Amino acid sequence: MTSSSSDRPLLGRRSLLGLGLGLGASFALAACGDPGQAGTGGSTAGGTLKWGWALPTSWDPVFSSAGWDVHSLSLVYAGLTKLDEQGTAVPALASAWKFSADGTSVTFTLRPGLTFSDGTPLDASAVKKSLDRGRTEAKSLVAPQLTSIREVSAPDAQTVLLELSRPDYQIPNLLAGKTGMVVNPKAFESDAAGLATRPAGAGPFTLTSYTQNAKAVLRRNPAYWDATAIKLENFELYPLPDAATVVAGLQSGQFDVAQIPGSQVAAAKAAGLEVQVIPSLVVAVLDVNIEKTPFDNPKVVEALKFAIDREALLKTQLFGYGEVNHQPFPKGYVGYDPASADLYRYDPAKARALLTEAGHPDGVDLTLTTTAAQGLPEQLQAQLKEVGIRATIDVVPAAQATQIVYIQHAKALFTDQFAGRDSAAQAFQVLFGEQGLMNPGRRTPPELAAAVEQVSRTPLDSPEYPKALRAATALAVRTMPNTFLYSVPRLLARRKSVSPIPAFTAVQRFEGVTAS
Amino acid sequence: MNTLRASLRVPVARAALAVLALVLLLALLGGRIAPADPLAQDTAHILGGPSADHLLGTDYLGRDVLSRLLAGTGLSVLAAVEAVAVAALLGVVPGLLSVRFGPAGSWLALRAVDSLMTLPFTLFAIAAVGLLGNGLHQAMLALGVLLAPLFFRVTRAAALGLDRAQYVEAAELMGASRSWILRVHIWRKVLPTVAVTTAHALATGLLTVSSLTFLGIGVQPPAPTWGGMLASDLGFLAQQPWAPIPPAVLIMLTVGALNLLADVLADSDRTGAAPATARARRVAGRRAASGGPSVQGGPSGQSGPSVRGVPSVQGVPSVQGVPSAPGADSTGPAPSVPDRKEHDHVPHPA
Repeated sequence: MTSSSSDRPLLGRRSLLGLGLGLGASFALAACGDPGQAGTGGSTAGGTLKWGWALPTSWDPVFSSAGWDVHSLSLVYAGLTKLDEQGTAVPALASAWKFSADGTSVTFTLRPGLTFSDGTPLDASAVKKSLDRGRTEAKSLVAPQLTSIREVSAPDAQTVLLELSRPDYQIPNLLAGKTGMVVNPKAFESDAAGLATRPAGAGPFTLTSYTQNAKAVLRRNPAYWDATAIKLENFELYPLPDAATVVAGLQSGQFDVAQIPGSQVAAAKAAGLEVQVIPSLVVAVLDVNIEKTPFDNPKVVEALKFAIDREALLKTQLFGYGEVNHQPFPKGYVGYDPASADLYRYDPAKARALLTEAGHPDGVDLTLTTTAAQGLPEQLQAQLKEVGIRATIDVVPAAQATQIVYIQHAKALFTDQFAGRDSAAQAFQVLFGEQGLMNPGRRTPPELAAAVEQVSRTPLDSPEYPKALRAATALAVRTMPNTFLYSVPRLLARRKSVSPIPAFTAVQRFEGVTAS
Repeated sequence: MNTLRASLRVPVARAALAVLALVLLLALLGGRIAPADPLAQDTAHILGGPSADHLLGTDYLGRDVLSRLLAGTGLSVLAAVEAVAVAALLGVVPGLLSVRFGPAGSWLALRAVDSLMTLPFTLFAIAAVGLLGNGLHQAMLALGVLLAPLFFRVTRAAALGLDRAQYVEAAELMGASRSWILRVHIWRKVLPTVAVTTAHALATGLLTVSSLTFLGIGVQPPAPTWGGMLASDLGFLAQQPWAPIPPAVLIMLTVGALNLLADVLADSDRTGAAPATARARRVAGRRAASGGPSVQGGPSGQSGPSVRGVPSVQGVPSVQGVPSAPGADSTGPAPSVPDRKEHDHVPHPA
């Protein structure tokens, strides 16, 4: 009896699995076969959206190691706040928040009746546990951003109180990103490692199956606080498609929406696809290590900034989509400093003069580190050669670049992209802070640190805020070696069956998007 | 050599040699006869079509494609030659010596060679580059090591039969030195077989080099290579759908010429080395052409037939009759292996 009963459930599970697969397939077929049905009901959800974008390094926001992951993690997690299309923090899981008069504490009020996707109640103590895990977990990658939080408490089930070590009005913005994603305590208390492949959040979708490096299948989460805005029943996430095949992939229906390189825009339009150019916070930048020769001489850093013809780079790398930029924020963003717009306009004569001043009248040799030599590095090499900077291209494997560049600070010059951050102060920390990933020289002028401190201390709705932020931007681009090149827009091509994708500057969201 | 001279009479071989001579010329002079600087960028004219200024158009940084193709020939061919030279050195010398290893030594050497043959070229080269640093020489060294077993087996198979040939034993009895026998009696008979293998290995090497540079291993941009150009062209198919054709045609022509040459060398090694009269050669040629058994043996690298053919010229009994050293190492697997590997390693643009 015992032996036969131990066999039976196994068979049962197998046949159940087979049944499940069959059902899944029939649903998928139904979805393909009857496109009209999904669009008829205004409020009912339907349809499947296949997004060719990127899969996250981990489905656990505390251990995800790429800034880019925020887009995919936002599908399954929600935070107390979220950013609207312009990048302003607006209510999400919290319906409102209030800073104390001196800015050293902030109280969030949760919406009533929130649950995680598994049905567990999402109350203040769950938020506290989740935030505390991000702050205190031994290898947490979000902890550096949460240093201004002294203590999190949950005075009642609807109220989360954050006590801060210093006034920090950036907190609502900060919590809109990976840093503030609320993870189900039930999941990390029982099996924290499992979160890497089985996210447990309260986001617009829940993950139903995941194949690493291949595909993530998600389903609408009816318990999401803003579920009425989510019109898609099914969501599939794929790694970034290859430039050579992305248009064909969209045409054939392998993807409904995909990120495409500038070189494919014309082809996508010719193929009858809709192309959206969404301004984003992403900016191409060179990480410069002022501890390494020849950049230990500030004149050489300045020469580098003047030696680059950004217009030419933009034309070949993005086919003209995007904008030349000399600062970390794109035009139109509150932190964009108009006075720094043309700060390092291409001036080879000046670059040569600066090199001579720096004691390199015959030019200087340096190594340009990158993960792929084709394209931008080749072009930079040729441009630098014009002014007498002889660059050797050094290719490091993409998988090791984080370790070599961000952790060992072993390279003098690295071609990089900054994905932008939910909070401006956080962006400054990453780019210019003494612990900043993209500040390999590990030095920050005290006046810049003070300016960033001033940004954090200024309420976002204060008329002083834009001024403070622009002042910090102006100071940073003049005192820090980071060499900004151009802003990279989000180029999305989509099938006509998908409604327009909302233009979110920071994190791509899918509220209101329909697919038939 | 008789074999080589015989091969030259075959029109296909002459055509193949002409192509190879041209490629060699490009490899040596490519950079100098290029109409423009292969590295000179002109970002105002990127991805241009063929014109009077740029016969094959311009690439994604406005560089002249023809010049890059010409300049890239040197690196691509040199890399393949380097790999094959390493392979020949590592394979032929031990292959000749292995005849005298004794049963235990032979067994060990053959098993070592067998295990090397199981490794796939591209993966092994990538691993070597990961360990030794990303450079062409590292990749080619790795490729050479993997090609060496082919030379080892083929040389050993050819030499094994000769080692017990009566005239070799006679020379030994007359007091000829080991090295004299090697040079006079063995090496000249083994050489045609090695030539066939070399041509074949060069073709394999060139394909592998192209695959590796296609993957960004070995040579880094902006240095032009055939495989690298093919890889970068694929990103801009929407603008230049024809762009992959020139580098692909060059690769195909060169590899095809090498394979044809290997075929002809193998055929004439079998037939052309027969009694050195023109008439006999013609007869042999006809026999081969009519689908005689020697042709059915398959193309290139047939160490077996060549071994059998050579001694019979000297009027000694066929090697098949001679008791050879134990072990199934004389024929069979060696020639078939490169074919199999090639199928595993077609370049990736599919």
